Amino acid sequence: MKIDCTIDGKTLTLSLNSDKPLSLILRENMGDDSQVNHCNGSMCGLCTVLVDGKAMLACMVPAFEIRGRTVTTFDSFRKTRNMKDIEKAYESVGRFPCTECYASRSLIFESLIDEGVTDPETILKELSIVRCPCMDPEDEIMIVHRGIEIRRKRNVRRS
Amino acid sequence: MYEGLSSPNIHTPKSLGEYASIILHYPTSSLWAGGTFIMTRPDSYPSRMMNAEIVYLGDVEELHRFQRNDRFAEFGAMVTLDGILNTGKAVLPRVLIDNILTIGSRLITRRATIGGTICTKNFTTSFPGTLLVLDATAEVKFIKKKRLHSRWMQITRLLDRNGRIQLPPQGIISRVRIAFSEKNCQYFREIGSFMLDPENSVAVAFAATLDQDILINPKIAFTYPSHGVCYSRDIDSIFSSLRFPLDDSEIHTLESMIFTFIESSFPNISPLQRTRTSGIVHQIIDSLNEMTLTASPDVPAGYSR
Repeated sequence: MKIDCTIDGKTLTLSLNSDKPLSLILRENMGDDSQVNHCNGSMCGLCTVLVDGKAMLACMVPAFEIRGRTVTTFDSFRKTRNMKDIEKAYESVGRFPCTECYASRSLIFESLIDEGVTDPETILKELSIVRCPCMDPEDEIMIVHRGIEIRRKRNVRRS
Repeated sequence: MYEGLSSPNIHTPKSLGEYASIILHYPTSSLWAGGTFIMTRPDSYPSRMMNAEIVYLGDVEELHRFQRNDRFAEFGAMVTLDGILNTGKAVLPRVLIDNILTIGSRLITRRATIGGTICTKNFTTSFPGTLLVLDATAEVKFIKKKRLHSRWMQITRLLDRNGRIQLPPQGIISRVRIAFSEKNCQYFREIGSFMLDPENSVAVAFAATLDQDILINPKIAFTYPSHGVCYSRDIDSIFSSLRFPLDDSEIHTLESMIFTFIESSFPNISPLQRTRTSGIVHQIIDSLNEMTLTASPDVPAGYSR
């Protein structure tokens, strides 16, 4: 099956099995085995990617669902201004995720900041998919709140 | 590694009429809603078992509709669990909200659909049990004489003898109607992970009205993911014959009656599931006892919260 999609800013036409999980497409077809894990559906949360700006587990997205959509992995996201906002939020709170969950947590933070979610319960619920205990819940909430503030200031400056 | 595997054909109907014509052409095709259950199976890919035809329901506009009046809410089968929380958190029954919240991260609830959670193959999620205690009804669409028919059915009527949801051949659930419950005792508890440890997890949904120390119209459903939903009117009538608070001997008798029924329906539940079920039953009874004992004399018991 031929699938047109945009992965990390590149518009591609991929010839794939239609039910192949996105995590395997990224590892096998795109060669991105550094950031995307394939847990075979155990919901470890480490295969998080952004699909049209929303955080999703790549192991749960079949190939036919990415037709015409934009997929962003941490590999390309870390070079963006949005990632710099998240890094600033990490610095201002004084807590950083560990190397294992850095990519997935950062992408989920981006999804929450982009959506402007401030409700602590919703923030913790979204982040509960990452089971790594390297961050306290209070720090996670503060990072999202700080990230929203930084993003808002940047948008005001730009306009 | 994947040599010899053929890529399944994906059909994306835009309406239920189109769905019907696809199903008539490919009667053995697999239905795909959110995919959260299918994709988390260890053998989901590469799989020789996967059907050559997949019907993806995500583009069927009718299945995304949501409507609500002062008596009930009606969800299209493709409404996501996150969508349900966003649209009706304040008005929907507490037991349903608690069930959705136990699923976990929004990364899952954003994809899982209400229709998909009811119609999983060879597996039972905690949703049929919850919908059952809420007296929910579902609109079932099925093909008969090459035409698409529909019928509203209670969730209890969809359960077969083994406690699994059984739809007519080539049938789908298109809408689910949930009445706004006025029951003042609603309880949902899930122990263990349904997706990761189905052999040891259990969920119990309970809804009743506690009025002057007795339960009116109680319903309780026990769900064991790899076995099915255990529901009986007999257990409900035992609950309605009780006068709260219960003492230890009454709790023990009630528990043994419940287990007699569960073990007659599902003789193979694991010892851990048994222990967990017993713990949840005790919690429910403790909270009912507490509600009865803390009710003020002027206000009927159960309306104190």
